[in-house]
Amino acid sequence: MMPQLVTYRQRRRNGRWLRLYVPVLPVMLVLSPLLLLVGLAGLVACVVFRVSPVGALRGTGRLLCALPGTRFEMEYGRTAVLVSVR
Amino acid sequence: MNEQRRQILQMLAEGKISADEAERLIDALARQQPEAAASTTSTPKSRPKYLRVVVSSEDDFSGDGAGRINIRVPLQLLRAGVRLTSLVPPQALTQVNAQLHKSGVPIDLTQLKPQHLDDLIEHLDEVIVDVDQADAKVQVFCE
Repeated sequence: MMPQLVTYRQRRRNGRWLRLYVPVLPVMLVLSPLLLLVGLAGLVACVVFRVSPVGALRGTGRLLCALPGTRFEMEYGRTAVLVSVR
Repeated sequence: MNEQRRQILQMLAEGKISADEAERLIDALARQQPEAAASTTSTPKSRPKYLRVVVSSEDDFSGDGAGRINIRVPLQLLRAGVRLTSLVPPQALTQVNAQLHKSGVPIDLTQLKPQHLDDLIEHLDEVIVDVDQADAKVQVFCE
């Protein structure tokens, strides 16, 4: 399943939390023109390095679909960062 | 017919035990087997889904206080990443091999097949790394 929500939380030095909830699908829709360019660049890179574009696409898709459940949490003194993919 | 039952019948045939004793032994065996089967079916081993890395230290380098890192990576993500290695072009692998040889690391990456890496990930669920120091603790395990 594709990731749906990426949560970013950061505790600043003053103790206040910055919370960012990024809905993946709407953001991808907004960035779709840019993603198209990235896709084209990827295709060119695949041709240049003789990598199967279908295989690369499948691999990237698998990687994206496996992302939900990933969590990165770091606390360092008064600063803390949390990135979670759901 | 299982091995133990066969042994009992063999002993009966050889006249080592009487028919009554054989019956008692077979009854005892029948009582044992459902218990053993229940114990194996009631607690099926659930496969771990995540690789967890937890690092906690008493004091960080800046002297700000305790530090803690908690990373949870789905094993599926590792598998997907490993499968991506099959896309690495052979000429890139030979170049990496040459550089590794130059650095004194004689590893032939062309011999590393995605199947081997898959097996490695498959058996990762049994790995537990626990480093316990006075001021820091590192734990790597699957859950």
